[in-house]
Amino acid sequence: MYYYIFDIKKCKKKTQVEDIKNHLLSLGISGEFSYPSSGQSVEDLVDIGLEKQYNTIVGIGGDEIAAKIANKLCGKTEAMGLIPLEASPDLETLIGAKSWREGCENLRYRRIKEIKIGKTGNNTAFLTNTYLAINSPIEVTIEFKDYLVQANVTKLVISNYSAGIQKLSEDFLDISMTSVSSNSNSILKSLSSLLGMKKGQNSGESIFRARSLRVFTKYQIPFSTHETTIAKTPQFFEISDDTLRIITAKKGQQFWG
Amino acid sequence: MENSFDTIIGLNVVLKGNLHNKGSIQVNGTIDGEVRSDENVTIGETALIKGPVSAKIVEISGEVKGLIEATEKLEINPTGKVFGDINAKTLIIKQGATFVGKSIMPADMPKDMPKSEVSDAKEEIKPGEDKLGFFSKK
Repeated sequence: MYYYIFDIKKCKKKTQVEDIKNHLLSLGISGEFSYPSSGQSVEDLVDIGLEKQYNTIVGIGGDEIAAKIANKLCGKTEAMGLIPLEASPDLETLIGAKSWREGCENLRYRRIKEIKIGKTGNNTAFLTNTYLAINSPIEVTIEFKDYLVQANVTKLVISNYSAGIQKLSEDFLDISMTSVSSNSNSILKSLSSLLGMKKGQNSGESIFRARSLRVFTKYQIPFSTHETTIAKTPQFFEISDDTLRIITAKKGQQFWG
Repeated sequence: MENSFDTIIGLNVVLKGNLHNKGSIQVNGTIDGEVRSDENVTIGETALIKGPVSAKIVEISGEVKGLIEATEKLEINPTGKVFGDINAKTLIIKQGATFVGKSIMPADMPKDMPKSEVSDAKEEIKPGEDKLGFFSKK
């Protein structure tokens, strides 16, 4: 029933592989284990698992393996599980498991939630969010369906699920952006302070909700998820039309209340 | 970023095109185009909108150059500047606000009155001028 894809690189100790296997066995949810290699990618292994008619494909690892499995299973009836190893806090919150033991418990209770996933134009997926990897302000143009946004940004996050961003609808990506003046932020700040502007009145925080968007920058800049580059500008992002059946914690967590 | 707004256009952001939302919108930046919401539109002190604005409730502390339609309430705060016509059920213009345009309040409009006779008065309220609450209807 369970087809496990194990990202061994995420194991802290050599014994962790056996510890996880033994724990799954003790819970009565053991299955077939596979390991990605240079010859067989995660995607290849998902295909093998589906060919063997397993109804649950479980990733043991972090955000990267989770995104790859999610991308393959989105729109399919087979469910996805995740036993987190060095996963981002957002992904841990999404599945409701902060440790591999809690991930195993989730599998045991098999509470399935249908969610949409974020996708890039180069067919990479993200379950949680992706951010523009920049250290200094950069001019960004974002093209939405009916409008265009231009700003000098210090932060741009395209989110499917983020702990800090309120999710209003499953059908939209949430775009969070921090912008500064293209002339001089410090001068503007000083002026605002001199004029006695209240905090928040000069807020450079923006938020947009959209099914799809295109991001352009003057220079090619990477988009990262949990420190892994998943795309580069110019890039297209969208929320998937189909849903992913993902195993989450028995009780509701932050994102779904 | 937890907030009650569906969409926020931050300071230093320039938006060109039509922003249509079911939820509330807060504008602190510049918009060149239409802003439409099924809920509230809040226009901050630093905002500039060149285009029509329509929503259930519109609150203006910045500048709008265009037609404003509020099905429930329109409020122009002391720092607010409106250059365009207003169509609102309830209209509140606070002392110090600027309003240059025609105003129509549908609830007060006699049924047999032709549209062209509704109002052709142009009002401008400049900072410091007291309009004795003439436009402050709650």
